Amino acid sequence: MSRVRSNEQTKEHLHKVVAEMYDKMVKGEAPTMTLPVRTKNNITFDSKLGVYKYGKRKSVRDATSLGSAKQLLRALHVVEFIEDMIDSGKSSTLREMYYISEGWGYGKFGSQNDSNNLAEDLEVITKCMREDFKLRPEEDGSRIIGNLTINELNRRGEWMRINARDDVGDSGYGVPYNVESEKLELLEHDIDFIMAIETGGMFDRLIENGFDEDYRCGLVHLKGQPARSTRRIIKRMSEEWDLPVVVFTDADPWSFRIFASIAFGAIKTAHISEYLATPSATYLGVTSDDILAYDLPSDELSKQDIQALESQKSDPRFTDGWWREQIEMMLEIGKKSEQQSLAKYGLDFVTDTYLPEKLGELGLA
Amino acid sequence: MGIADDLASKQKQASISEFFEKNKHFLGFDTLQRSLITAIKEGVDNSLDACEEARILPTIRVEVKKVDSKRDIIEIVIVDNGPGIPRDSIEKVFGQLLFGSRFHAIRQSRGQQGIGITGVVMYNQLTTGGTTNVVSKIASESMAVSMDIGLDTKRNKAKKSNESRVLWNEDEDEQASGLKVTARLKAKYQKGRQSVWQYLRMTSIVNPHADITFIDPDGEVSHWPRVTERLPRKVDSIKPHPRGIELGQLRRMLEITKQPSLSSFLRFEFSGVSTRAAKEMCEVAELAESPKIHLHKRKPSGIKKEEIRSLVEVFQGQKGFIKGYRGSKEKHTYVEGAKKPGMPGEKVSDLMHKTIMSELTGKGIDDAIAYVKNHTDFYWEESIQELEEKILSKVGEGPWDENQTDLVSKYMRREWDPRVTFQEVKLLNPPTDCLSPIEEMLIKKGLSKAIDSRFVSTITRSPNVSHGNPFQIEVGLIFGKGMPADSHVEVLRFANRVPLMYQQGGCLLTKAIEEVSWKQYGLEQPGGKGLPKGPAAVLVHLASTNVQFTSEAKEALADNEVVFEEAKKAMQEMGRNLKKHLAKRKKLEKTREKFELINDILPAIAEKSAGILERPIPDLSKSITSIMSAVIAECDTTWNKETKNTDVEIRIFNYTSRSRAYSILAKWPEKEGATLENNEVGGRKEVTGVWTWKLPTLEPGQQYKITYSLGGLEKGDWTETEIFYRGSGDIIGAMEMDEKLVKQIRDQEKAESEPVVNEENETSQEVEHSEPASPPKEKGQMTLTGGDF
Repeated sequence: MSRVRSNEQTKEHLHKVVAEMYDKMVKGEAPTMTLPVRTKNNITFDSKLGVYKYGKRKSVRDATSLGSAKQLLRALHVVEFIEDMIDSGKSSTLREMYYISEGWGYGKFGSQNDSNNLAEDLEVITKCMREDFKLRPEEDGSRIIGNLTINELNRRGEWMRINARDDVGDSGYGVPYNVESEKLELLEHDIDFIMAIETGGMFDRLIENGFDEDYRCGLVHLKGQPARSTRRIIKRMSEEWDLPVVVFTDADPWSFRIFASIAFGAIKTAHISEYLATPSATYLGVTSDDILAYDLPSDELSKQDIQALESQKSDPRFTDGWWREQIEMMLEIGKKSEQQSLAKYGLDFVTDTYLPEKLGELGLA
Repeated sequence: MGIADDLASKQKQASISEFFEKNKHFLGFDTLQRSLITAIKEGVDNSLDACEEARILPTIRVEVKKVDSKRDIIEIVIVDNGPGIPRDSIEKVFGQLLFGSRFHAIRQSRGQQGIGITGVVMYNQLTTGGTTNVVSKIASESMAVSMDIGLDTKRNKAKKSNESRVLWNEDEDEQASGLKVTARLKAKYQKGRQSVWQYLRMTSIVNPHADITFIDPDGEVSHWPRVTERLPRKVDSIKPHPRGIELGQLRRMLEITKQPSLSSFLRFEFSGVSTRAAKEMCEVAELAESPKIHLHKRKPSGIKKEEIRSLVEVFQGQKGFIKGYRGSKEKHTYVEGAKKPGMPGEKVSDLMHKTIMSELTGKGIDDAIAYVKNHTDFYWEESIQELEEKILSKVGEGPWDENQTDLVSKYMRREWDPRVTFQEVKLLNPPTDCLSPIEEMLIKKGLSKAIDSRFVSTITRSPNVSHGNPFQIEVGLIFGKGMPADSHVEVLRFANRVPLMYQQGGCLLTKAIEEVSWKQYGLEQPGGKGLPKGPAAVLVHLASTNVQFTSEAKEALADNEVVFEEAKKAMQEMGRNLKKHLAKRKKLEKTREKFELINDILPAIAEKSAGILERPIPDLSKSITSIMSAVIAECDTTWNKETKNTDVEIRIFNYTSRSRAYSILAKWPEKEGATLENNEVGGRKEVTGVWTWKLPTLEPGQQYKITYSLGGLEKGDWTETEIFYRGSGDIIGAMEMDEKLVKQIRDQEKAESEPVVNEENETSQEVEHSEPASPPKEKGQMTLTGGDF
């Protein structure tokens, strides 16, 4: 990313976290760790950046309960671990760190989710990125297919030129976890827009039907909630090549959330929204009204679905009128549909009818 | 009693085998599965009873072997170390149906429920045609006697064969005394809730003094060891109490008694009848048509049928005295078919006046008299006449206008006082020392050995009386891991130490469990009613001289309000203990967490942060005080294998910023015979079972330790010590002392230690039958925390 800090800066920021705990103990108090509240109630729209960022609300984690105290101790272990990696020029995956924590005694993580969250906590407090911490996710990015060419620095230190249509197999170009310019360059393209697709099934259907060539687009498989690198490369393609981005997902509250993380920024990563979010992205479908308009096979909303929709009503990212309508409508009809339910009308319906109609509305087909 | 009489009379007409065949459903031999359990039950009950009578700690072995799976032939072997049976009595014991002494004696015995060991011999013979082998050794003889017992069904007599003298060795040791019964039966072995295994397991719970081994058909051995050397108390038999007597029984008793008069018969053949009561009963029972000689002087054998019936009505409290009419002195008479006295109220009120006005205005004398009669349960004709005459002379016979009715009302209210009360002949409660409860600590042990779990609470209620029968309820609850959390709790029902395994739903004891609202005590209870769910087992034991069953199958207890209430109260008390335990466990968990926090985590944070920043490790004492900001008590109660003592260590930490002064109090099983040893801190006795130590002032950050040992206990007797405190500011891990309760217990102890005067004074002990006798406030009933330790 463009804002990689120097190792010394990173250490300094981390030491501030440690010093907060230390100073409290010197004063005869319980050690603490102060961090921004990471809920939807504490994200606000940053009009300068066009994305959602954390607000001013802070929460204090103090060592008066066993759980919080263990969190503080873990944070210290993580800080020590990061410093070690910085000093020895190594990096590790979050999962590796989780396993390494087995040897941390009382500071051992309970689950990998714990270790991921703590890494994020430190990112948020220090305003560093996990790349600064030499930590990387083990989750790979997604796949891309389309007539676009990328230059990637391979592990032998050589730049490889890859065309995501001609140089790849059916599974497409695999996006690496680091997509910053020192690792990946966007060379050239001959497409009109980028389409991000939620499910692998639909991604494969469009490829089999040759949709990328027929409609001159790049297809990105999101794999559910998209990884940071996926969101980052979408943003780079959109900005550097000035391409519109459309998002094609299921019609359910979780898909709405996926779209929000691409377009507005995710709640969990709101500290780096300006690097990950693509404010210009458009939600293509499946929309709530599509369920009715196309008479799609559908499922009843579950309790959790309804809860998620109700919660989205008070999510600042969904305040715009169109989204309110979508959410209200879904609650009203009480139904959700998958992308692949379009197959009701045959395998080609999605490429021959549905997408052209939807893209037509946007002036892209 | 019913069966014995039935059988005795029926035996004269029908052959014993015919009778057995006809009645096997209620003798417990109805299905092949149940027959096996019943046969073993009869054998084991016999063994336990015999051992108890001979004061021998029972060691019992039960074996079940499949002999012929196709024809469902099973061999059972029951071996005990009891007194054995002398050679000449073996035939009688095994061949005689239901003539055991237990059917006449009123006392708590296992044998109330069943046909006895003869049933096994008979079932063996009926289903396989074979005989039952008996090996018996009595201590005074050097060799055992072995014989095969069969039944001569025509003459209803046992016949022996193959008699010989044998050497009896068990595990290569010579058996000192005992009995070994080997029988072959048509039966089916099954596992599960209604199995031999479950029967023996339950038996071992309520017989903690017994050592029981079971070998199943696959050769698998289950062993329930003896957990106490204490034999159950020897129970005395008592005379019947009039409240529990039926007509037929009274008739028979009158026939066979040697007492010269009815009043001495009542006085000496029954319990609870004083000389005065005997005389009163006779007076009340006397009928108009009775012979001239007063009933109490008559010979028991000469009492007529109607008089016996009348006497039973007096026994049942249906006949009695009317007392207190118009303040006159007590006057004996009896009332037939008495209803509830006291109508229309305690005092004739204004309301009464209004009612009379509205009912009688415009009416006449006949209506007024009818009104009085309708609204009074008991009255004398002469007093009604008095009232009638008065009204007639002053107001006339009516119809009356309003003013006249007002006058009538006045006379009625003045003359007619409905404050008459009906009184039964006062009887004393029967003695309760005929009961042998298992007692709290032993139930606890029994439960703990059969179920591996954490928390056990047991309660033995004080004896109570219902219909002249003394009874006592005991309950136990075991809770914790090792039991399924999502299914109904296991119910273990017992009557006089005998497991009840069938008809759980229809049993009074089950109903009492279901009636309790367990939710408030921390167990799940869907719908707020019914059997609770959770990792728990509930034990209920009814000890009684007369256990009432719903049917001859003798597997479910019949409804009885007094017993039900007792059982429910016991459950609730136990529930409160469970609730307390759960709350305590939660608190302990929290305390444990806090200690982990300050002992392990905080120092690690200090060390790590200092290391990263390359600064000195900070002093943590102030941080610890600010994190804990509490006084904390920890207590360990552990069994010391070497000294055979129970060691207790109490630690008090002051993690506050102020100095604190406390007295610490701990419960210990003083009443159970424990001794307090190695108590170096000293202290003093607070009340029985509670010791107090006054601690020196604890400065911030200081701690203090109290250690002592408890002697005279067995392993598992005392596993948790409850501690209390006196002083300002909470202590986590201890409860604040309830001073009121301490005073109450102290007063109670003082009262108990004073000699009881007027022990012979009847009036002070008389208890009216119809009310459930309030549980005598005995020691043991009141404890600091309700009996759980």
